Formats: sequence, structure tokens, C-alpha cells
Amino acid sequence: MEYKVEAHRIMSISLGKIYNSRVQRGGIKLHKNLLVSLVLRSARQVYLSDYYGGVCLNAQHVEAKEWELMDGDQEKLIPASEESLPSTTACDQTEAAEVPEAPQPEETDSSLAVEGPEDPCEAVEGPEDTSSTEPQAEQESSSSVDSTCDVSVPSPVVSEPQCEAKQATVSSLDCETDANLAMSAEGNSHQPPKAHSCSNRKRSAEKKASHGSPVKRTKVTSSNADEEEAEEMDTSNVSNLITIFGSSFSGLLSKDNSEPEAETDESDSGSGQICCDQMLKNLNPWNTAIVAF
Amino acid sequence: MKCFSRYLPYLFRPPSTILSSSCHTEADIISTVEFNSTGELLATGDKGGRVVVFQREQESKNQPHRRGEYNVYSTFQSHEPEFDYLKSLEIEEKINKIRWLPQQNAAYFLLSTNDKTVKLWKISERDKRPEGYNLKDEDGRIRDPTTITALRVPVLRPMDLMVEATPRRVFSNAHTYHINSISVNSDYETYMSTDDLRINLWHLEITNRSFNIVDIKPANMEELTEVITAAEFHPNQCNTFVYSSSKGSIRLCDMRAAALCDNHSKFFEEPEDPSNRSFFSEIISSISDVKFSHSGRYLMTRDYLTVKVWDLNMESKPLETYQVHDYLRSKLCSLYENDCIFDKFECVWNGTDSVLMTGSYNNFFRMFDRNTKRDVTLEASRENSKPRAILKPRKVCVGGKRRKDEISVDSLDFSKKILHTAWHPSENIIAVAATNNLYIFQDKVN
Repeated sequence: MEYKVEAHRIMSISLGKIYNSRVQRGGIKLHKNLLVSLVLRSARQVYLSDYYGGVCLNAQHVEAKEWELMDGDQEKLIPASEESLPSTTACDQTEAAEVPEAPQPEETDSSLAVEGPEDPCEAVEGPEDTSSTEPQAEQESSSSVDSTCDVSVPSPVVSEPQCEAKQATVSSLDCETDANLAMSAEGNSHQPPKAHSCSNRKRSAEKKASHGSPVKRTKVTSSNADEEEAEEMDTSNVSNLITIFGSSFSGLLSKDNSEPEAETDESDSGSGQICCDQMLKNLNPWNTAIVAF
Repeated sequence: MKCFSRYLPYLFRPPSTILSSSCHTEADIISTVEFNSTGELLATGDKGGRVVVFQREQESKNQPHRRGEYNVYSTFQSHEPEFDYLKSLEIEEKINKIRWLPQQNAAYFLLSTNDKTVKLWKISERDKRPEGYNLKDEDGRIRDPTTITALRVPVLRPMDLMVEATPRRVFSNAHTYHINSISVNSDYETYMSTDDLRINLWHLEITNRSFNIVDIKPANMEELTEVITAAEFHPNQCNTFVYSSSKGSIRLCDMRAAALCDNHSKFFEEPEDPSNRSFFSEIISSISDVKFSHSGRYLMTRDYLTVKVWDLNMESKPLETYQVHDYLRSKLCSLYENDCIFDKFECVWNGTDSVLMTGSYNNFFRMFDRNTKRDVTLEASRENSKPRAILKPRKVCVGGKRRKDEISVDSLDFSKKILHTAWHPSENIIAVAATNNLYIFQDKVN
């Protein structure tokens, strides 16, 4: 849907702003970054919420569950309580009266969300083969979603945002562990992640092929050159910026920052896992920076 | 509605500018404008850390039409760029705010602040100098004692007027975050400085100590949801102050209630209109300026699209809301992309609290008459600036047919923004800062 594209674009812009604020003269401006993070959060919620107003109400609940189930080994990630329910326009944009299915309990880092007919473009992809922990469950859920085709899958969609934004991150993480270093050092060169993002996209395209046309269409949309650039920017910035965002302000990550690094070794593990891992790994140094700030 | 004429167009350029008039350095961008309490002096601060003070000419019988021009009175470098070695951060020298102290003797005092440090400056005149020293001659050279044969008493002789500015106090190391406001208390002994998360109370005489009176920093910075955007003392009640937040709320605090004023006495907030909800609702509801009326009865707040007047006795909703440039509501996404949505516009009352003024884009500024409910859009530009010319009201066309003289929303120049304006405390004289130029307009003189 268009607003999803818009939401994604706004997310990219926001991440760019947060990144650029670090090199601005005079230091990081807390007020502006807070506002940008709020926009980022709104856009993300819109991106997730989809479907219609009802989902918005469930979104937080879903999100909470989704976070909880993100990788069994990881600590439960619960969105900060301050994260208000998305009352964004997207929620009001009741695309279609699709009833959200009960939140998928499985891990959904890399599941593909298939959207109802009224929102063919909403389907989000993640590298499916990277979900190592619960590939079966994911595929099952995906296929079940696929078949029903009229059920929104909040969970996978919820995981999507991290993945969406961090897809490149994920891919880069998947491919090279030293990307971690690159990303943890904020402001590092963008080249390695970018390269990975392309490979990730290819993988996504493959995945897409295996699913229904709605998914395919979605991926085409999101694989637009423009968005690719945006995602490339995301790629390079995402881990840093999401980390910054998540650690600085409530909403994206739980307060439980002590993230075990066990997952990072799994190069093929769920992208979402690695996303979170990476994010959380970077949290602590950034936390220190924020505290110092 | 009063007509404003461009009686004397002051296009101010700092002395150090050597560029042509079409371009300017970033350091020349005016960042604050403030009249003193009598209106005799007008101070501007710029991004380069300089302060320029203008003084109004005394009315002279010889030239009655030149009623009170403002001429440069003093220029000094208030703040220099600094470097925080601990955090590896550069501290900008940009002057965020200037506040005058009430005049108590022949000298003038003002507070100026950048992101981290507040300074008290004394501006004084010197028009006499002592002459006739015994041990040194007029050039200052030491006289040969053997040539001194008689004693004389030095006398004061007139000299060319010299205005000198000296820093009398430096209030530093009290703010972790960026200072956005300072406000002098009506007791004329204390003032407060406000950053994103804290408000500190200072005594004008004491620089090594300040009291923290508001602290909204959460224990866990991840839980941060709002910051302080502006604060001001009540004009009459020395125990009362307000501070505004990025969430669009204003809190009024009473310093008598507790040492730490985290608990407000009054809370002013208007519920959000759900029909206007968008990605950027939070940004445009962030209050950029808060000003008490001269009477102390009302509060004015400025957020991105509106100016609101609040009655201190009514917390649930504002008394009046004025749309400054509602045609921008549909353009919020572009304004977000080009960062214009983060512009912090200020707002000012006139001397009688009957007219409000605030800036907009394209060098437009708006005035709202609270009594007649009429408003006008004026432009501060060189083209309009002929002496004695009356400013022509401008109009933005929001769609449909554009009439002649109207300007369409898409033609607005968003790089020309008027963020800082000031209104003389008692007369209809306004100062408008348009990037690096200062315009002073006076009411039509008959």
C-alpha cells in the first residue's frame, strides 16, 4: 500500500537525520533527535499496523508477543510501555476489514507476511532461509497465511520492521561477522553493508518467488531502485541508527539490554535474531554514550 | 489594525561582513532579538557569537521626522566557540538568547547565552577621561621624574563617546544539555537558565553555584519522551514560572511549593485533534516559544502551525488559537525532509497585550489583533523597503485561482524564515530578523 511505502520512506529519512545529527556542529541535539525518533516510531508502527484500525489495537499486544518470542535464546524483548498504540493515520486507513489473525506464536524474524487482497503490496519479505531456529514453524505459518491469503499476519509483519529496516543489516550480518564491527563503529564506511544488502535483496527475491503473487508484487514494490537506495542507506545506518534509536528512546527495544551474543555466530540464523543481536550488542556502547551525553 | 510603515529600513550587516549583499556568511545569521525594558536599546545576537546593540536616537526638535532611529551603539564578541574535551564535542558560539536586566544605574546589563554558558555583560559609556597625571604624560609614557617640578591634580575632560562592553559574570558548567532559554526574575536578583531536561536558578552575583529547580531527566534515558523547550518567569510574581515541552504542554510551577519544582501547579494542554493526526503530529505540537503577557494574566505559546493564547486560570484549552500558516499542514512531509519542520519560531506580545506577532517563511511575519480578530501578513524584504513606505499586506494563495499579488504556497521560499522578532515594550516599533538582516519598522507617523 502506498502508505507503507511512505512510511518506509519516512523511516529512511529519519534514520538519515539521526545519522547526520552525529556529525553536526555543536553536538547531538536532544530535542530534534527525540522528535525524529518519534516520527520514526510512528512510521514504523504504521508500517507494521497495516490492515486496519483493529490491528492497531492488537499491534502492541502482538508486538509484545512477537518480541517475546524473538529467538528463544534471546531475552524477551518487550516494547517499552511508553510506546503508545499507533494512532496514526494508517490505523484510520482501514484498508479492508481484515480480521487479524491471532498473533503468530512462532518466531517470525524471517517469515514472510502475506497480506490480504486489499493490501497486496503489504507483504513483507525476509530471507526465509536464514531463519534457522524455527524454519519449520515459520514456513508453516507463512504457508498457512499464504493459503488463507486474507489474514494479516501481524507477527511476521511485526518482525518485518526490524527486518525491513535491518534487512541489509541482517544480510550483512549473515554474510560477515565483521560487519558487526563495521556497524558497531557508528559512522563507519557504508560499503560492506551495502554490498550485503544487495545480496539480501536477491535472496528476498528468491523467497518471493516461492510465494504467492501478492508477495511478489510487494517485493517488487519494495525493491524499487529508490527504495533500494533507501534500504542501502538503511543498511549502512540501520544497525547503528536503530541501535541509537532503540537505546536512546523507548519503543523499539525492551529495556533488557543485556543481549546474549550467542546468536551472532549463526550466520544463517533468522535475520531478525541477528538484527536484534546486532542492535543489542551495539546498545551498550551507545547507552554509555547517551548516558554521557 | 495599525499600518506599519517602513520608516527607516535598517538593513543590518555586521561590520565584519565583506561579502556582497546577495550572500552572507553563516556567522551573520541573527539568532536572537530583544528590546530592553524601556525600548531604548535593541540587542541582536548572531550565530558567530557576536552581540550588536542598537540605541534609539533621542527625538530632536530639529529633525522631528526622524523620530527615533536606531543606530549601532555597541558591538562585542560575547561567546567564542569552545571544545569540550571530555565529550569531544564542539560547543557552538551561537547566541541562543539575550535578556536585558532592568536598568539600575548608568550602565546597561544584559545576559547572553550560547548552548552551555550564560554571561552577564555590562555596557557602559565613557565620555570623560582623566588628564594631567603627574607620573605619566598624555600618551601614557612614564615621565622622567627629574623633569617633574610641580604637582598637579588630574581633571576629567570630555572625550569622544566610547561604549565599552565588559563581561561581569560568567555562569558556566551547569548544563549538560543545550540551553534554550534564559529568563530574568522580577526580583531582579535571580534568573533561570533552561536546557532540554533541566532548569537552573542562579543568583546574578554568584557564578559558582546554581540551584536545580526542574529536572525531567528520566532515570533511564530510554524512557525519554519529552524535553523542555522554553521557560519564562512570571512578569510580576517572582515565585512563578512556566516551562513548555516538546509534547505541547505547559507547566506552571510555584517555587514556594518545593525546592524542586518537578510537580507542577498547573498543567496546560489541549487534547489533540484526532482528525489531524499524522506522522508529524508530535513534531508540530512541540512548543517552540512561550511568553507571558505583560499583564501576567495570559500565556502565549507557539507551535509549528499555530499561536495560542492561554488564560492562566484555564488549563483545559487555550483561550484563543491563531493559524499562522495552516497551508503548510499538507506539506509536512516535505518540510520534514528539508528540516524546516524543526524551525523554532518565536512569538511576541505588543505592549498592551492586544496584538501578537510571529514569523513565518518567505520572510513573512504575521500579526494577530486579539480584539478585532483581524490578522495581517507582512513581508520583510529589501524590495519593500523604501523609506516611509507602508508595508503592504501579503497573502498566500492556498489553492484555486491565484490572484495577482498573491503568492502560491509552492513559491514560498523556505530558506527565508523569520524566527526572531521583537516588539518595543510601549510603542509600535518592531524588530524583525530575516536571516542576516534586521528590519525595524515603526508605526505610521502622522
